[in-house]
Amino acid sequence: MASDSQVTRVFFQASGLTCSMCSNSINKSLRTLDFVDKITADVRNYTFEVSFKDGSNVDFDRIKKKVEDAGFSIGDFKATIYLSSNQLAGDQTIKIGTSTLLIVNGKDQTLHGDIIVRFLDKGFVSSKEYKASSISKSSTEAGNYHVRI
Amino acid sequence: MKLQLLTIYLLLSLSTWSQELFAVTEPASNRPAGSIGFRVDNSVMDELGTYTINYHLIPEIMLGLSKKLMVSGNVFFSNRSDVLKIEGGSIYAKYRFLSNDMLQKHLRMAVFGRISYNNSDVHQEEIAMYGHNTGVEVGVVATQLLRKVAVSSSVSYVKATDNGNNNKFLYGLDNSKALNYTFSIGKLMLPKEYKNYRQTNVNLMLEFLSQMNMGSGNYYVDIAPTVQMIFNSQSRVDVGYRKELHSTLLRTAPNGVFVRLEYTLFNAFKPLSR
Repeated sequence: MASDSQVTRVFFQASGLTCSMCSNSINKSLRTLDFVDKITADVRNYTFEVSFKDGSNVDFDRIKKKVEDAGFSIGDFKATIYLSSNQLAGDQTIKIGTSTLLIVNGKDQTLHGDIIVRFLDKGFVSSKEYKASSISKSSTEAGNYHVRI
Repeated sequence: MKLQLLTIYLLLSLSTWSQELFAVTEPASNRPAGSIGFRVDNSVMDELGTYTINYHLIPEIMLGLSKKLMVSGNVFFSNRSDVLKIEGGSIYAKYRFLSNDMLQKHLRMAVFGRISYNNSDVHQEEIAMYGHNTGVEVGVVATQLLRKVAVSSSVSYVKATDNGNNNKFLYGLDNSKALNYTFSIGKLMLPKEYKNYRQTNVNLMLEFLSQMNMGSGNYYVDIAPTVQMIFNSQSRVDVGYRKELHSTLLRTAPNGVFVRLEYTLFNAFKPLSR
C-alpha cells in the first residue's frame, strides 16, 4: 500500500431538502470538520464538492454524520482518490488513511492515478437503493466501505 | 369551504418550489443539530366588542440538541392587564421519529409536547398553550415535501389547568380538554432559481387551525396566510394575519396580525450524537 495515496475531494448530493436555508445548514455543518479545506455548494442541485487539507485523514463517516446533523441525508456520494502506485480492483482493497475501500466491481483491472469511486454503504446512498442492494446483507466494520469504480 | 379547497388546489398546482418553515405551526423536520435559534413573536390581536388591542410578545430560544431532538423555551408578555408585563412561559420539545428522504422530497413525522405556565386571568373557552393557559399539549405532526410543495398536518391534545395567581379555569373540568388540528401548505415564490445563499427567499404560507373542545364539542376554524422572507439563508421575517372563519367557542381576540423575527446561529454547540 502506498502511503501517499490520498482522497482529493468528495462530491455528494444531499436529499430531503429544497430550501437554501437547509442547504446552508449542511454547508455550515461541514465547515466544522478539521480536515475540510473548501466546500463548493451548488444550491440549485443540492450538491456539495468538498476538498481536503493536504495530508489530512478524510473521515467519510464524519462527513455523513454532519449532513445528518443538519437534518438531511446523502443520496449519492463519490470520492476522487489519487493512487500513487498500481492497485488491482476486484478482491483488492484500497487502504487510505484509516479507511479501507472494498471495490466490488472491475476485477483484475489495474488502477493508478486519479480514480472516482462511488460509495454503496448505508447512509451514502438513498435508503431505497441500500435496501435493494446486496451490500445490506453483508456486515461492514467501521472504517470499511464498499465502493464501485 | 369551497373557497378554501380552491385555494389549496391553486397552491398545489401552481407551485414549483416549497418551504415548510411555517409561521403558526411547526413542521416535523427539526432544527439543525448544534444550532441555536432566536425568535421573537409579536401579535396584535383585536379584542372583540371593544376598542382594545391585545399585544403579545413572545421571545424564544430554540436548541437543536441532536438531529432528531429539539427543545425550546419562551416567555409570554402581554398588555392584557393594560401594561406590558410578563405572564408566564413554556417549554417545548419535538422528536423526529421518521425521516424518509429522497432527492428534493421527504416524508417526516415527529411527536411534540409543550408545558405552559400562565398567571393571567382565564378569559376564553379556547385553550391556548401559547400565551394564554397553564397546561400541557402533546401531539404528532407529519410533513411531506413533494418537490413542488410542502404540506404539513398535526393533531394534538391540550389539557388546561388553573392559571397561576389563583386564576381558575372557569369552564369546568369537562371542558378543560381539547383537540387541535392543523393543516399547513407552503410555497416558495422567489427566487425562481437558486444561485447562492445570499438570495432572499420569499415564501407564501397558508395555514388552517382548528380546535374542538372535548367536553362541549364547541370548535373554531381559523385561516392564517403568511408572507415569509429569508435573508442570507440565516434570518427570517414572517408577516401574517390570523382570521377566524367559524367558531362556536367563546374567544376573546381571534383576529389579528403577527410578525415573527428569527435568527439561526449554526454550530453553536456540540450536539448529542444520537
